[in-house]
Amino acid sequence: MTHHIEELKKFTINKINLSLIGIFIFSVFLFVAISADIISPYGPWERFEPYSSPSSDHLLGTNDMGNDILSELFHGTRVSLIVGFGASIIATAIGILIGLSSGYYRGLVDEILMAITDISLMIPRIPLIIILAALLRPSFVIIMLLIGLLWWPNIARVVRSLTLQIRDSPFILSSKSLGFRDRHIIFSDIIPNIIYIIIPKFMLTIASAMISEASISFLGLGDPTMKSWGMMLNFAFMKGALINEMWWWYLPPGLCIVGVVFSLMIIGFALEEKDNTEEVDE
Amino acid sequence: MKINSKKLIRYLLAIFVIFSLNFIIPRAMPGDPLTNLLGEDFHMTEETLQELTEQMGLDKPLHLQYIDYWGNVFRFDFGYTYHLKGPVTSVIFSRMKWTLLLVLPSIILSSIIGSLLGAFSGIKSSKKVSKMLTLTELGFYSTPTFFLSLIFLYIFSFKFGLFPTKGFYTTGSLFDILHHFFLPITIMTLFLNSRNYMIMRGSVIQEKSKLYVVYAKAKGLSENQILFRHIFKNSSLPLLTILALDFGFILTGALLIEIVFSMNGMGTLIYDALLSRDYPILYGAFMIISLMVVLANAFVDILYGIIDPRIGDGT
Amino acid sequence: MGSILEIRELSIVFSTVIGNVYAVNKSSFNLNNNETLALVGETGCGKSVIANSIMRLLPQNAKVSGKIMYKGQDILKMSEKEIEKIRQQEISIVFQNPSMSLNPLQKIGDQISEPLLIHKKMNKKDAFNKSIDLLRTMGFQNPSKTAKMYPHQLSGGMNQRVLLAISMTLNPSIIIADEPTKGLDNILITDMIEEFKTLKRANESSLLIITHDLSVARELSDRIAIMYSGDILEISETESFFNNPLHPYSKILLDSLPERGFNPPKGTSPSMVNIPKGCKFHPRCPYVKKECTEKVPSITSHNGRQVRCYLFL
Repeated sequence: MTHHIEELKKFTINKINLSLIGIFIFSVFLFVAISADIISPYGPWERFEPYSSPSSDHLLGTNDMGNDILSELFHGTRVSLIVGFGASIIATAIGILIGLSSGYYRGLVDEILMAITDISLMIPRIPLIIILAALLRPSFVIIMLLIGLLWWPNIARVVRSLTLQIRDSPFILSSKSLGFRDRHIIFSDIIPNIIYIIIPKFMLTIASAMISEASISFLGLGDPTMKSWGMMLNFAFMKGALINEMWWWYLPPGLCIVGVVFSLMIIGFALEEKDNTEEVDE
Repeated sequence: MKINSKKLIRYLLAIFVIFSLNFIIPRAMPGDPLTNLLGEDFHMTEETLQELTEQMGLDKPLHLQYIDYWGNVFRFDFGYTYHLKGPVTSVIFSRMKWTLLLVLPSIILSSIIGSLLGAFSGIKSSKKVSKMLTLTELGFYSTPTFFLSLIFLYIFSFKFGLFPTKGFYTTGSLFDILHHFFLPITIMTLFLNSRNYMIMRGSVIQEKSKLYVVYAKAKGLSENQILFRHIFKNSSLPLLTILALDFGFILTGALLIEIVFSMNGMGTLIYDALLSRDYPILYGAFMIISLMVVLANAFVDILYGIIDPRIGDGT
Repeated sequence: MGSILEIRELSIVFSTVIGNVYAVNKSSFNLNNNETLALVGETGCGKSVIANSIMRLLPQNAKVSGKIMYKGQDILKMSEKEIEKIRQQEISIVFQNPSMSLNPLQKIGDQISEPLLIHKKMNKKDAFNKSIDLLRTMGFQNPSKTAKMYPHQLSGGMNQRVLLAISMTLNPSIIIADEPTKGLDNILITDMIEEFKTLKRANESSLLIITHDLSVARELSDRIAIMYSGDILEISETESFFNNPLHPYSKILLDSLPERGFNPPKGTSPSMVNIPKGCKFHPRCPYVKKECTEKVPSITSHNGRQVRCYLFL
């Protein structure tokens, strides 16, 4: 019966849902990314008087090349989001594939895949990307791929442990005894049951990928033809925006990174915590 | 010592894989392997280049190069930087100690503050205070260290002139060093604290629904007694693991702070190496950071064996 | 014989996303000084919820109404500080999942010592020695060795005895045992019954045993209360209960005992969300009448016993 009480506790109604705030903030950025061409006052490469302060013509002034910073910022939203999403989709797909195979087939497959996962987890990812990016002088697609290919181990581990749990549950055993094929069981029984854990992990991976992209770009390793927020910060830092008090140059891209990442983190953590039980006492 | 052999093999494998990656990358990437290994932006005659190719064995078959490579690794010879004119290891170690001086105090401070705040918030997870605190910490969690550094540098150093704008020290007195380190350590601590906070909070929320916690309550323990006698220790185990696993990530965060504050540690070393295409430094830094991560993991494993009696009993 | 615990009109409702779960409905019973009362029912009937409510250990989404009077004070009205003084010192509980109830990272001896350190301010060494004594009382062959071990190194049955030892540390007035024989085989059940007899000899506590196992109740209890789907259906002296069960459900339960041919009750307990109208047992009752389907019968006295059934109204 205590078991029963545990069960009842799980169904406690959650009153405040923080994820709504996150979804709202995120939608704003998504809107900007999609409609960047329409809402930007100028093209991101159009040149005007360089180093001008905010004015009615240029709400956030212009940079050293005379590009309108607001237009750069709107277009940067698109680049940064594509890298974040793309990397996270790749990482999540690999993570699910490895985690599922490991948890479902167990035995030797599990041993080998988990050894690979544990080892990959220990490789310092950003230093490795720094080397690869320095040698490749990459486009933003390559940065996206590199992040995606290095960010899967965490997801693989989570998916594996969930798959192990679900595989032993009565309904899977009955599917097996009914003679359903592995592929059917994985797609119609296991995946629907782990998706609620994967979605928050996916969100948090986008956030992590975006911070990483920003860090790599800040080091000057970004794609010079695609100005992400990290690249804007790199240029602003290199050209002395800080010392010259040109806050309109370095503050907006930084705040945008914080804003998107923050919204994704709220969604991710709120969804993750919803699964956990709430307070035991009053 | 209770480190199990399976884990030990895994660590050795990790080192093997990482070092092999380091061998493969310069040879597999597009471009001339010699350039990929030595870097660019310095000029040598055709003869010297030929000499270097022979000296580095690049004319030999790959498998022999690989054997030579491991020979060098075992002699702790990670290459030579023609830019800074010195063995990579000694250049990195002379910078590394400054970086560790920034990282280690931050790890200790942030672990104490983060785990206490996180535990408090996890216990009171449905209270408003806890939710507000979590939002604040998520804010710091979402801020890249270099951006926070830019803002702090502007406000506290440029605007109010409270702290030096660059470097590790000017006069070298203890106060002077502390004065220089104050902002970077604060930023690093805020950043790590937010991570530790979230991990600890999640861990406590999970732990507190376990039956032994309800039983501790049945034994008449107050909420604080339950937290400090039971939940706290059990919840800090995941924190230890993640701190070790993320050691590389933590170092990266510190490197970016150093760059903004122009502190001559590993971060600026890597940054300068990037600007001057001094690749040996990048490889060396990658390997030494990797070694540190593996060592940190092994250390936490040993610590785990001491804290958790279930480990090493073969159960 | 005075009663030490009086439960009056106790109702417990869990508010959940699937609706309100009515776990306990207006239940009343007494626990007398020095007696052993068995609260018997099928899994999910609300008996463990009652045990947890006496200790105020229910989760936040449980709404509790009624009275739980302990020595003249209502437990439900106590402040958190006051209830902390009742727990373990006055009333202790043994959970049904002993291995999960113990902290995996603490030595057995330290977990037994804990109440002595917290409530009696005993020093660590004395408390540890006392815990060794208690382990010896509970039949451990080498108690000083056991005290230094961790829960994962002991079997479930051994951890159960550790929990019993912990429940005795402060000589409480009441010990509650929640499903003490769940998951044990017959030999271990016999051992467990012996251990409870030891516990009763060593202590002057009243005992509330929550169980689904009538044979355990018969061995240990002075009185027996039958619970079904959140309602108490019958309270009788154990002896008269086994000689002559009153409620139809009691009869069916008795028939499920091995010596009576092992006829397990047919049908299943009703849902606690969509409660059936009338007596909750009526869908399974062989004596069902029209009135049973309309209104819940009230509980009435019948030759000094209490029963909730229209047959005895």
